[in-house]
Amino acid sequence: MNSQATILDELKERFGAAVLAEQPARDAVPTLWVESGEVRSVLKYLKSETTAPYRMLYDLTAIDERLRSHRDGQPEADFSVIYHLLSLDRNADIRVKTPLKGEYPSLWTITDLWSSADWYEREVWDMFGIVFEGRTGLRRILLPPGWEGHPLRKEHPARATEMEPFSLPPERQESAQEALRFRPEEWGLTGRGEDTDLMFLNLGPQHPGAHGVFRVLLQLDGEEIVGAVPEIGFHHRGAEKMAERQTWHTFIPYTDRIDYLGGVMNNLPYVLAVEKLAGIEVPDRVKVIRVMMVEFFRIASHLVWYGTFAQDLGMLSPVFFTFNDRERIFDIVKAVMGGRMHPMWFRIGGVAQDLPQGWEKMVREFLPYMVHRLKEYDRTIMRNRIFKARTMGIGSYSLPEAIEWGVTGPGLRACGLAWDLRKKRPYSGYDQFDFEIPTAKSGDCYGRSVVRVEEMRQSLRIIEQCVNNMPPGSYKALHPLTTPPLKEHALRDIETLITHFLGVSWGPVIPPGEVCVAIEATKGWNSYYLVSDGSIHSYRTRIRTPSFAHVQMIPLICRGFMVADLLAILGSIDYVMADVDR
Amino acid sequence: MRWRFSRVDKPSRRPEAVSVDETVGSNLLLSRLEDMVAWGRKNSIWPFNFGLSCCYVEMAGSITSRYDIARFGAEVIRGTPRESDLMVIAGTPFIKCAPIILRLYEQMMEPRWVISMGSCANSGGMYDIYSVVQGVDKILPVDVYVPGCPPSPGAFMEGLIMLQNAIAVQRRPLSWVAGRQSIARPPLPSMKDRKREERSRMTVLPNPDIVYPGKGKSDE
Repeated sequence: MNSQATILDELKERFGAAVLAEQPARDAVPTLWVESGEVRSVLKYLKSETTAPYRMLYDLTAIDERLRSHRDGQPEADFSVIYHLLSLDRNADIRVKTPLKGEYPSLWTITDLWSSADWYEREVWDMFGIVFEGRTGLRRILLPPGWEGHPLRKEHPARATEMEPFSLPPERQESAQEALRFRPEEWGLTGRGEDTDLMFLNLGPQHPGAHGVFRVLLQLDGEEIVGAVPEIGFHHRGAEKMAERQTWHTFIPYTDRIDYLGGVMNNLPYVLAVEKLAGIEVPDRVKVIRVMMVEFFRIASHLVWYGTFAQDLGMLSPVFFTFNDRERIFDIVKAVMGGRMHPMWFRIGGVAQDLPQGWEKMVREFLPYMVHRLKEYDRTIMRNRIFKARTMGIGSYSLPEAIEWGVTGPGLRACGLAWDLRKKRPYSGYDQFDFEIPTAKSGDCYGRSVVRVEEMRQSLRIIEQCVNNMPPGSYKALHPLTTPPLKEHALRDIETLITHFLGVSWGPVIPPGEVCVAIEATKGWNSYYLVSDGSIHSYRTRIRTPSFAHVQMIPLICRGFMVADLLAILGSIDYVMADVDR
Repeated sequence: MRWRFSRVDKPSRRPEAVSVDETVGSNLLLSRLEDMVAWGRKNSIWPFNFGLSCCYVEMAGSITSRYDIARFGAEVIRGTPRESDLMVIAGTPFIKCAPIILRLYEQMMEPRWVISMGSCANSGGMYDIYSVVQGVDKILPVDVYVPGCPPSPGAFMEGLIMLQNAIAVQRRPLSWVAGRQSIARPPLPSMKDRKREERSRMTVLPNPDIVYPGKGKSDE
């Protein structure tokens, strides 16, 4: 609390009248409203001038404020742009907001302060129509070129069935294909190098090595990569807009499908954020059950990465082994939660049901098996000479670069910094577990692999502690906003029956407020920034995903390497397109 | 069965409604050859390595050892549409991606088949949202729909077997000159109707609070 108070005082003292207001947030992150003309200097001060600076631009997003009713004490605004900064030295966040007026307001860019702001600003323009001045290449990023409207504005329809039915007649197909044509000059690239002609190569959107519909346009000198332009948005499912129409409870299944290899890992930040807004304290049993299932999914996700990454590098058999192990995890997942990839099993204030009889046996059998398998994979993959030759020294970045570009998770720890949210800001009872944070020094493809492989071992350790110390108690909190509430209470008296009925039919009404909860997900930090207006659905849900930041960094880390190395780099980043485009 | 002779260069008029069996059986020699070609097609489907989202991971699961799609002769995964004859729409068809999907489909050689895997590809599913095409059949013809979100590898393989059975009875022209020039496709059954009786007989469901060893809760 102390450092928060001082940074706010520091800013108020230095920028005086430009600081419009201070906003209390449920997550205790200092939140400050700054005049739009001064926001750049405030951010610059926070990034480079203050002590223990906020070097990472964690998130940049906006809110359409026009229909919001609970704006107590906040400056008048039609739109607000939010800059979420992070200081790893302080282990503290700060949120800087700026109010904007008008239908299509504009703001000065911060791409000169953070290179990583580029995609975030493009996304804000794409989704809200807020113009960033003083920069080039402000074009659509998630939606196709020629899209009408900006989806996260409140007047844009949410449903496809509210819009004209989609069809693809030949002329539309032709114009869409024409729009896909790459024009290097639009991206500031030329076909002329210093003393050689450069070639452009289109990789994707359909390419087996691109892990989903993802396109990279390469500028090549022979086989060496000179420049790259990643193009995303082929997987934009409008999850943030979806949250504005689903109830708090019925949005849970959509979170599963954000990082679709993460399963209930995606439920966790969302339910934690809603619980923080609602003021729900969950029983210890819920915490431990959640940690256990989440760690299973961390292993499952890393196993998919392990196999496919080895396959990208030309090893054909590991994927068969790792997928087989993943199936064994799914046996447990199925027995406990009833689903496979998307169990959508966490609930606001608990989990869907108690653990089934006989779960310990399944888990206990799995643990030694997996330890043994990981040893085997060390021999066949990590110590393989070709694997090493193709990953060591490839696609490396330094720690300052990682922070500048917003890299989190294994990618950050591969640069030698043991920064894990589970340790630094324990949530869901992680402070009670005994585990280590694996790191690597090199920051290259091999380093990232080492970190992930070691993480699987640590996850197994955590799961073992869960089985040995599963606390007794209820699988749901005794809070009126727990959804759905425990059935036995519903039949006790008329009050509990009414609460139950409303919670199940309308959905819970979450008190107004703002909150942001981040967790250490499979690929990095995943956070949900929820704005409640005291309604049955969220006013704005911002999903900050790690892959978005990581994919943006590709041009930087593949420069100077061969095309074949690019596939190693893509594989080592371990992104999922749904996690990039949401 | 009614038999008739006709000249190759001057095909005789045929009655409008002919059943598949009758058409197939109307030429003894050709029908043997057609049987063999259809058998070959059925058992050597080459799927296109194309994934859109979550469903693709389950489709990949069906290739790996526990499910092993090779048992059905469909393990030759091709990275280019020009070498494949089955396109599995495994995932959400996005409006931004629709022109690409159609282009890839058009690049596939005839005979070609499409399996729509999962709710998103079937109908948009839970994503009735501005950026999603409400069913891939809005842009290209689909042969088999596999329900699920995502369908398990087992469900996908059931869809594949249904497609194989359909291919086995499909009749395509063997030549540009001889025989009928249209494709005879038998209608595909609705599994919902076919399984209704069996399902309504099921009155005892497995208890979700007990682990059934080796099976898990959801059946496959």
